[in-house]
Amino acid sequence: MIDKPLKKSKMSMAAQEGMWGYFFLSPWILGMILFTGGPIIASFLLAFCNWDLITTPQWIGFDNFARMFTDSRFLASLYNTFYYTLFAVPLGIVGSVLVALLMNQEWKSVRILRTIYYLPSVTAGVASAIIWMWLLNPDFGLINYGLKLIGITGPQWMADENWSKPALIIMSLWGVGGNMIIYLAGLQGVPRQLYEAAEIDGAGMIQKFWNVTVPMLTPVIFFNLIMSIVASFQIFTQVYVMTGGQGGPADSTLVLVLYIYQHAFKFHNMGYASALAWVLFIIILIFTLIQFKVSGGWVHYEGELKK
Amino acid sequence: MAKKEMSFWASQRLQAKITSWILYIITWAGAVVFVIPLVWMISTSLKAPDQIFTVPPKWIPYSQLYLKYDTRILAQFDGKVLIENEAEGIKRIQLGTFSHVIPENAEIKVKNKQKVKKGDLLATLPTSGKVRIIINPDKSKILQVVAKGGFVIKEIQATQDTRFVVKDGDTVTVGAKLADIMPQWSNYMKAWAPKALDETFNRYLLNTVIITFFGILGTLLSSSFVAYGFARFKFPFKNELFLVMVSTMMIPAQVTMIPTFFLFKMFGWIDTFLPLIVPTFFGGGAFNIFLLRQFFLTIPFELDEAARIDGCNYLQVFYMILLPLVKPALVTTAIFGFVYNWNDFMNPLIYLNSTSNYTLALGLQTFTTMYGTDYNLMMAASTIVLLPILIMFFFGQRYFIEGVATTGLKG
Repeated sequence: MIDKPLKKSKMSMAAQEGMWGYFFLSPWILGMILFTGGPIIASFLLAFCNWDLITTPQWIGFDNFARMFTDSRFLASLYNTFYYTLFAVPLGIVGSVLVALLMNQEWKSVRILRTIYYLPSVTAGVASAIIWMWLLNPDFGLINYGLKLIGITGPQWMADENWSKPALIIMSLWGVGGNMIIYLAGLQGVPRQLYEAAEIDGAGMIQKFWNVTVPMLTPVIFFNLIMSIVASFQIFTQVYVMTGGQGGPADSTLVLVLYIYQHAFKFHNMGYASALAWVLFIIILIFTLIQFKVSGGWVHYEGELKK
Repeated sequence: MAKKEMSFWASQRLQAKITSWILYIITWAGAVVFVIPLVWMISTSLKAPDQIFTVPPKWIPYSQLYLKYDTRILAQFDGKVLIENEAEGIKRIQLGTFSHVIPENAEIKVKNKQKVKKGDLLATLPTSGKVRIIINPDKSKILQVVAKGGFVIKEIQATQDTRFVVKDGDTVTVGAKLADIMPQWSNYMKAWAPKALDETFNRYLLNTVIITFFGILGTLLSSSFVAYGFARFKFPFKNELFLVMVSTMMIPAQVTMIPTFFLFKMFGWIDTFLPLIVPTFFGGGAFNIFLLRQFFLTIPFELDEAARIDGCNYLQVFYMILLPLVKPALVTTAIFGFVYNWNDFMNPLIYLNSTSNYTLALGLQTFTTMYGTDYNLMMAASTIVLLPILIMFFFGQRYFIEGVATTGLKG
């Protein structure tokens, strides 16, 4: 950029345009300060306080964080959240990429198929949690009935502390259709010439998949991986509904956000809850940064996409 | 040589065709698995109580009811029987502590004071009787098969969706078909106005509609406004601000939740809809701003300039020229806003206390804690809550897919 002296009228035009720009941004800037920036600072300070929402907050330094190391419920919630994320995110990504590949075929009924696979992801919430409570019913649920048909005695699912987390993971896979659409859009953006070139080089179906499709999808997978981990660390509604807000049995589904909720709005330990929320935030931040660090190794950016 | 190559190509094409067919079948099998939970929800929602807990599961909520009962009365243990007249037309066979009341026209196979052994046939009940249908004030029905002397041989509790194929006063014998148990549409009425809850779903629906309406309005107005700013103006720190906006998507809501709660508490907004509505007017969410900005960027800048030359100011350019052009993106935003507000659970859970302010999601959650084993009612309530989402989805599918494809993000 070369700095050119501007005429006075032009400069005021630029300034005017800037003013208008900020004018249009003003609702977001205001909201950002009121509902994001301000609260983040406040919550950071509260993490070092004892506060019941009524009396004035008491500064207690790192006590909240020290308390976590001996808080077995916190450690359990951390374990449960990691466990869930460790399985739900990779399985969800593999599942949604596979479904997207299938949906990218030139079949006549592909539109109906897309609708069917996508539909469950918009029903996420209380209602779908209730549907799954019924599907996972140990004695009369469809899932255990299906297992019985192939000779397996199904577990007690949400009533068994060893099976409650796998139950949540299976539930989450019902929603792969949401990410499927993202990958489908990515797949349709892969230029045909690349496949044609690979064919000329004698590449088969599998080689084309690994050497063309996968590299071209990596930017989408990368972005989606980050957002999936962020979302997965925040699992709440399903657990709340299926366990009546308890995270049972035996705290086996007590996830971090549910634990934060319990401390904030059940026990009114606003300081401790804030500290817990910050731990969640930092975990998400670390995961995101790690992914950005290692992304150079596996994420392939095509020409102008690299910024 | 040429021939060999031909067959090679033919076999490859055949292989590809077979692979494609296998994939096709797998895809449809998967689709069936994906749709089963919703089919199962609707099927269960239409079941009578005794159709729910069956093995194997019953897919079609319909069954037929036959007159079935054991006509034999057997001795439970050894002893001496006593036969007495209980009332007009009714007799009683007493065996130790057990007594069987039977109608006069039952065939008594033993004599008074006869000694019997365990398992001996004492009497056989009449195999036919007259039908009596009683309709309760709540429209549920009771069907009785009555023998001589008003003795009730069999009593069946039915709902209003049970269609009797016999009339009052008909004579029926064992094995006769009594009724068709039709899909229980009455479950929906029961779920809509649950007895155990303080409020009906009317109230929850109204609340949800109000919150969703204003939530969408706020989102549409403010996100398009801000997106226009990001898409069309040059100003200092624009890229930095945009980066800040995109990265706010990664901040978990729990970090800001507690101070925000306190802020709204100071405003006196707890247990009102305001905490759920007002924030949407301040930006409408990073995702929506991002989506709309992408759309604004696809519109040629010459349009703005032409309008400017015609004397429009920036506000006029925004709402007269650009907004109409991004209508599809606005519809996408509205649909995502609808789904988000309709399904939102955590915010209403935190901010709404009185049951009269509950949203459908909260009402539904409360409903399950009250009707935890009535799966037919729970599924009916879930269907009610999901129905608008499903309808919205079928009409707006195109917009969902466009929105996701444009941003690479779910709503």
